[in-house]
Amino acid sequence: MPNNQRPVVIVMIEDDGGHARLIEKNVRRAGVNNEIRHFVDGTSALAFLQSSEASAAGPLLILLDLNLPDMTGIDILGVIKKHERLKRAPVVVLTTTDDKVEIQRCYDLGCNVYITKPVDYDTFATAIRQLGLFISVMQVPDA
Amino acid sequence: MAEARNGKRVGRNEVLLLALGFGALAVVGGSSVWIAQRNASFNRQIADTLEFRSDVRRILDIAQDAETGQRGYLLTRRESYLSPYEAATPMRDARASSLRARAATESQRENAEQLIKALDTKLAELARTVELSRAGRWDEALEVVRSDSGREAMVTLRTLTDKMVGVETQRFQENFAYSEWLGRLQLVVVTIGLLLAAALALVAQILVRRQARTIREAHAELADANAGLEQAVADRTAELVSANEEIQRFAYIVSHDLRAPLVNVMGFTSELDAARKTLKEQIDQVAEKAPELVSGDAKLAVDEDLPEAIGFIRTSTAKMDRLINAILRLSREGRRVITPEMVKVDEVVVAIARTLHQQTEATGARISAEPGLPPLVTDRMSFEQVFQNLIENAVKYLDRSRPGVITVRGRRVGPQVEYAIEDNGRGIDAKDHERVFELFRRAGAQDQPGEGLGLAFVRASVRRLGGTIRLDSEPGRGSTFIVTFPAVYRPQQTEAS
Repeated sequence: MPNNQRPVVIVMIEDDGGHARLIEKNVRRAGVNNEIRHFVDGTSALAFLQSSEASAAGPLLILLDLNLPDMTGIDILGVIKKHERLKRAPVVVLTTTDDKVEIQRCYDLGCNVYITKPVDYDTFATAIRQLGLFISVMQVPDA
Repeated sequence: MAEARNGKRVGRNEVLLLALGFGALAVVGGSSVWIAQRNASFNRQIADTLEFRSDVRRILDIAQDAETGQRGYLLTRRESYLSPYEAATPMRDARASSLRARAATESQRENAEQLIKALDTKLAELARTVELSRAGRWDEALEVVRSDSGREAMVTLRTLTDKMVGVETQRFQENFAYSEWLGRLQLVVVTIGLLLAAALALVAQILVRRQARTIREAHAELADANAGLEQAVADRTAELVSANEEIQRFAYIVSHDLRAPLVNVMGFTSELDAARKTLKEQIDQVAEKAPELVSGDAKLAVDEDLPEAIGFIRTSTAKMDRLINAILRLSREGRRVITPEMVKVDEVVVAIARTLHQQTEATGARISAEPGLPPLVTDRMSFEQVFQNLIENAVKYLDRSRPGVITVRGRRVGPQVEYAIEDNGRGIDAKDHERVFELFRRAGAQDQPGEGLGLAFVRASVRRLGGTIRLDSEPGRGSTFIVTFPAVYRPQQTEAS
């Protein structure tokens, strides 16, 4: 890890417990040991992100699923990218949706990476591991 | 309906009224002509009467002139005094025949004959006296005069003349009065005719106005009805479009939501498999070092039961994934924006035949497009997919016992174009003709890979392009898929983007 930066906290917003577990497993397998905060709905995730606890936690990286029970990931993305402090935090959209329009909208709103969850597990695992490797080297601005 | 019937009756009444009016006008015109003719004939009669009267007077004139001449001659014994006589007597024949000719009635003819007879009597007496005088027998001539026969004849002549003139005068007055009456009648009739014509014009005007108003109202009603109808059609179309959209959205959401648990099933199956491998390694090591610790069941579970279970889970999830992808593709196709362009069907067929070259080469099949396939304006991608599916199917389900022949024919039918993709393959049983178009359904021998998606996809695409598809097939003979498209694709006005 370069320089004296504080470790990045990964905020995972994912309603499907199984998906969350699989993502976590594969990220860990890539050698990422950062703290992962998991939220199963948009409301609690937004409450955390906008709290002082989040600002104290250091730099954030957000893994976002689009299909959430209480709101869409797009709504959350909109809030994050308009937020004074959060807007610089990288957002990785990780979802089953591969609709072109949806992908376009996410990038328009300022999402940094858009990944479709492949149904084939090997591909999925590889993708998440590569994401883990990516996370381990990427620079994240301090919040 | 009642309104329409009422309107019809009013129309009939109006026609009747107009016909009556024109009939009355015709009667007035006819009677006017008749009166004019009658008047002319009366005028002619009047003229005849006047002529006849003067003819009667002229007969008397002859007698008087002749008598005047005779008297002068007898008195003066000079031949020159005889000239009135000489002038009058030759006119007797002409005047008599004229009188006879003009005598129109029986009594006139009788009177005329009497008059002529009286004239002749008088002229005979005069001729005799003139004759005697010329012979110098003056006394004898005077004796004849004195015999009073001439005077009597003259009296008869005068009486007859007066009588006849009186009769004719009366007749003239009568005729004249009648003629005058006829003239007045004509005036009255013409006036009535003019009034009738005016009334008719007025009624016609009113009728025309009323008719025009009725037509205007009917037009307005029709326009309203049309507007209502258009609105109803637009509403219904909008409803259908929104229902269709809902189904598309539903299919899309369902397929996505089904995917999420599938990711878990597959993911954790892999985790399970990974865990099994770890366990197997452990058991294998244990079995190597202390075989008595490993039960046969445990070994069997790790070596056979678990891999088998995991294998079934994997094939099932893989199949489920394919099905979900199929639905997703179908719903995505339904959401795709259609961009119509000119599509040359023969070129499309040639291109598809090229992509299938390997398969056709292997089986000795031939794909041909009949010359003169009509082009059409439609969405190229959807159209190509439809043809690709149909031709691919034809190649896939050929009868191996004979060389495959796949022919694409086409013709223009009014505003539509119809294409037939005909093969001599294995054919489809009549009971399956509808079933083959259903999603995930297949028919006949299941010896080819596939999800039962192709024709469902084809039908959805054809419908989306405003067309229809039907199937004509007999097992063992071959199949013909007939697709009909509008020659020029017209987007529905309420088509959702």
